[in-house]
Amino acid sequence: MNHRVVKRTLNVSVLLCLVLASSAVLGLFTGSTGQNPWEVLALITGRGDPDSVTASIIWRIRLPRVLLASMIGATLSLGGLVFQTLLRNPIAEPYVLGISGGSAVGAILGILLGLSRFPGVASFAFAGSMLTLLLVVSISSGQSSVRKDSLILAGVMVNAFCSSIIMFMVSLTRDSRLHNILFWLMGDLSITDQKQVLILFGVLLPCFVVLFLFANSMNLLLMGEDMAAGMGVDVRLISLALLGTTSLMVSATVCHSGLLGFVGLVIPHLLRLLFGADHRVLIPACVFGGAAYLVLCDLVARTLPAHGEMPVGVVTAMIGAPLFIFLLAKSRR
Amino acid sequence: MAYPFSLIVVFFLGLSAMIPWRCEAGMLPGPGGEALRGPDDPTRIVSLAPSITEILFSLGAGHRLAGATDLCDFPSEATLLPKVGRFPGPDLERIVSLRPDLCIALKNVNPADLLDRLGTFGIPVYVVEPKDLSTTMETILELGRLLDAEASAEKLVGGMSSRVERVKSRVAKTGSRPGVFLQIGVTPIVSVGSHTFIDELITVSGGRNLAQGPVPYPRFSREQVLALQPEVIIITSMTRGLVFEHVRDEWREWESLPAVKNQRIFIVDSDLIDRPTARLAEGLEMLAGLIHPELF
Repeated sequence: MNHRVVKRTLNVSVLLCLVLASSAVLGLFTGSTGQNPWEVLALITGRGDPDSVTASIIWRIRLPRVLLASMIGATLSLGGLVFQTLLRNPIAEPYVLGISGGSAVGAILGILLGLSRFPGVASFAFAGSMLTLLLVVSISSGQSSVRKDSLILAGVMVNAFCSSIIMFMVSLTRDSRLHNILFWLMGDLSITDQKQVLILFGVLLPCFVVLFLFANSMNLLLMGEDMAAGMGVDVRLISLALLGTTSLMVSATVCHSGLLGFVGLVIPHLLRLLFGADHRVLIPACVFGGAAYLVLCDLVARTLPAHGEMPVGVVTAMIGAPLFIFLLAKSRR
Repeated sequence: MAYPFSLIVVFFLGLSAMIPWRCEAGMLPGPGGEALRGPDDPTRIVSLAPSITEILFSLGAGHRLAGATDLCDFPSEATLLPKVGRFPGPDLERIVSLRPDLCIALKNVNPADLLDRLGTFGIPVYVVEPKDLSTTMETILELGRLLDAEASAEKLVGGMSSRVERVKSRVAKTGSRPGVFLQIGVTPIVSVGSHTFIDELITVSGGRNLAQGPVPYPRFSREQVLALQPEVIIITSMTRGLVFEHVRDEWREWESLPAVKNQRIFIVDSDLIDRPTARLAEGLEMLAGLIHPELF
């Protein structure tokens, strides 16, 4: 990579990293109970009492949640970016190839069987998304190449079919499990602990690295398959690798958090408007920027309502859509 | 393509009806599976259900409560307790911040994941499972033993028991069993099937639950209700308000219904008939009065 691009990548990454770090700290300070901010500060700087209730709340409830939110935000944004490039479609988002439908059907089956969120429901969700992905890819690849239009169509149809199964299952469900199901469908970051967070990180980090290595190829893919092939990009291999890696990481996050919408659609566009379309800059930008965005939305979702919390998916849409429209309008002038 | 898939779905649904729930009633085991003992004299109890809050107050143990859910509204002192979030899914952070020495929860109603996480914070959780009149009375006795209030519990259960017996003996004197349609949902129309509190109360108070059947909360179209020809229609006020007067007026338009002809459409307070507490006896007496006014 040339010097200018490296410098730009570093600048953008450092900036967004700082935004992420401050959001994360803010996330530790806020929550549904009003913990004394001085006590929280003392704990974070290593001075406070490690056995206090505040310490329990900060390290065992809020920290895993902030870490989970940042990883999911990063994954969904990066997933949205990759699919938008791979499918050369600006409204593509990480769930477009049937992942949302398949994982939701799997998760609801898991919940109906009375399994716990992790590992029971999560494994069912993962299995569901992998099955639908296989289904979508096999429907759309008549020949040996992966054709983008048929991928999108197959994905949309499979998602629609899964939606009808989901409605059917929801309509038959009794009260207590219905609550659980609806929260999963709306995106729910509340069920998490340190062990889960570590496992998820172990799965996601390699995916992020792999995708970063393909950044240049993605820049070329944007110009069109023939152009890219002419420049020496093995389009079929790269497409399959991107598809596989991204689907894996999005499925892994959906297992933990349910279907959080809007992040994967809006954040890549937002960052493209702010920082340009070079994937070498955009990939780290999506990771840190997406993470910061979801941490902030989760913060709002946790503190705004008086009792309980709002679904995070509501907040991501309510903040993301107007923000995007504003930036879009501003960039037109 | 779709056919084998839907078979799989139906298979799993059938399976879900048979698979037993994970946690047992009583004290939940700790995170490593070890048996946990609750504190001998708990003074900071967090109740995770309105029925449990009510029972604790009725046992004279209300002073031991340190927190309750947002729906815990009876008796009125319960509304003054610090809130731990929504029922049935309260907020973990709020529960932990109250430093409880015991949590009491409803099996299969409060989310099992949450109860397990409470265990990892070292908070003992006691689960109860009232499913009908007799298990509700057992639950009251259980909690009485747990909280050193056996005498109050026995007195309370004794009172409930004699009230129930009184209703049963009066109802036994008549052979008539009017068809009752008890509506808990407005859009869509939802009633109660077998194995629910309400079904038992209807049956014990001398009525015939027209929505009896394996589905616990079956939906009905208006046509189906008309075909059942209910003699008594009872509408529960799950939310207070004018909506239910409107529902009654809607039924009144169908003059062929026996319930309309005899003006036997009633609105009742749902807390009296679907909360597993001592007030079920009161709910039972109320239903009996509506279904068999000639006996009560």
